[in-house]
Amino acid sequence: MTDAASTSTDRDPDVPAASDTTPDDRYDVPADATTYDCEYCGRPFADETPLALHRGLDHPGDLDDDEVEAFRTAYEAEEEALATFRLRALGALVLLYFGLLMVYALV
Amino acid sequence: MTSGRRRGAALAIGALAWLAMAGTASAHGGSLAGGGRESLTIPTWLFLSTGGAAVGASFLLASFVTDRAFIERVHGWGTPLVEDGTDTLALAGRLLGLAGLAAVLVVGFLGPTTARTNLAILLVWVGWWAGLAMTTYLVGNAWTTLNPLKTLARALPTLDRSYPDRVGSWPAVVGLLALVWLEVVSPLADDPRLLASAVVGYSVLTLAGAVAFGPDAWFNRADPVERVFRYYGRFAPIGRTEDGLRLRLPGMDLSTPRLVDGPDEVAFVVALLWVTTYDGLVTTPAWRDLTTPLVNAGVPPHLLYPVALVAGFAAFLGVYRLAVRRSRDAAETYLAPSVLAQRFAPPLVAIAVGYHFAHYLAYFLVLAPSLAVALSAPFSSPATVPVVDLPGWFGGVALASVIVGHLVAIWVAHAAAYDLFPERLQAVRSQYPFIAVMVFYTMTSLWVVSRPEVPLPHL
Repeated sequence: MTDAASTSTDRDPDVPAASDTTPDDRYDVPADATTYDCEYCGRPFADETPLALHRGLDHPGDLDDDEVEAFRTAYEAEEEALATFRLRALGALVLLYFGLLMVYALV
Repeated sequence: MTSGRRRGAALAIGALAWLAMAGTASAHGGSLAGGGRESLTIPTWLFLSTGGAAVGASFLLASFVTDRAFIERVHGWGTPLVEDGTDTLALAGRLLGLAGLAAVLVVGFLGPTTARTNLAILLVWVGWWAGLAMTTYLVGNAWTTLNPLKTLARALPTLDRSYPDRVGSWPAVVGLLALVWLEVVSPLADDPRLLASAVVGYSVLTLAGAVAFGPDAWFNRADPVERVFRYYGRFAPIGRTEDGLRLRLPGMDLSTPRLVDGPDEVAFVVALLWVTTYDGLVTTPAWRDLTTPLVNAGVPPHLLYPVALVAGFAAFLGVYRLAVRRSRDAAETYLAPSVLAQRFAPPLVAIAVGYHFAHYLAYFLVLAPSLAVALSAPFSSPATVPVVDLPGWFGGVALASVIVGHLVAIWVAHAAAYDLFPERLQAVRSQYPFIAVMVFYTMTSLWVVSRPEVPLPHL
């Protein structure tokens, strides 16, 4: 999506944004929360897994071997979770479709 | 593996499109177009459930597309069209815009008094608000060049006071609500003299603002009309970039970061959506039944309409902000609510586009011949003017465009969520509250269009 961002300039570049978001107000971390911060851009995460994925997706060139390994592990775990989700979504679709079909047949 | 996934994605999109068609064909919906709504052949609750289910099912189908690279390719696709060198065309456009404004003022004040034959009425409503707005999201934003007030403002001297940052785009939000209120409660589409006076009023206000703060600041921040066209233009397949014009897939530019910047711009997008609903809501029998006791109890009707407009807008904005907070909880993210609010507002523009197209396509096609006649002889008032009779199935086109608008919005929000969150399931979860709101919004809108249209009560 970075490509689209750099080529799209329908907004007049001379006009300042209504509220320029500084890195600080991009994040809103509860005072007592433990965070896992990205050492490359400082973005805080609630858990190790999203941090590992974020490093692999947004800073792919900077990672050491351990971080690459962590990304791979997290990505594979994600694939499994996604497979389960797809099954559930498919189930919901089938229910929705046949549910409506029945209703249309009865009404 | 990638090609398998790509095929999966293509299948999912195909199925999405198929579902949209099936939803349309089976719903037998009422026509959204100006000429009154058709009655339904199925019970209302089933009609509403089908619409809601179509939106929910589209979300489920979009969630099957989990290939980040594919999503980025879809959104990044594009090709440069014209390098710079469109100066002559821009000059012609500005002259055309000025000629249009002159025609509206002259014919509005001096032309025939019947709405059906007056060029000012037809040019503003059929040519500009229906026709030009449609080309803005179907082709590209020409209004930014055509806008005669901008051309005039650039020729005038400016005091160059600095535009207060604190005010931001709130004047555009207020302006949009005010324009819609005026359009709903006054016979702006029936009385050429009144329309011309309103255009004069709006022009004076706009030029005063542009003179005070400079045309760039005024038209970029405070002018509601310019902003509506700018957002519609973001949906269009042709967009303006630093190097000239660029071709892209329709709607896909709406996922760009920082397209909507700040709570004021979020409010504007929400207002754009709300006024579409408000427009139809006040002509339903339910609105009449709801307000009759109030008016009988002594509430002045002229107060009722603006209060309902503002209250409904506040409610819409409140629901959107609530959905943002819920989305933040569902995604378990430390991103600030404002980041989410700004990122997920642009997809709503696609929904507004869908409703505008549904509303005005038939209106435009029916009245376009009248506009042509009025253009060729602006001061004559023929007893009959040609109009096009649209076939009965045309209501289906309106319904389809509403659903397509929702589909594009769901897809764009899906892509924005993928860009925002590193976990893909997290991205999907972040959409649950928005989808719930969208289902509710669709059902409300379908309910409005399935009601018989009554004249504005109490006015």
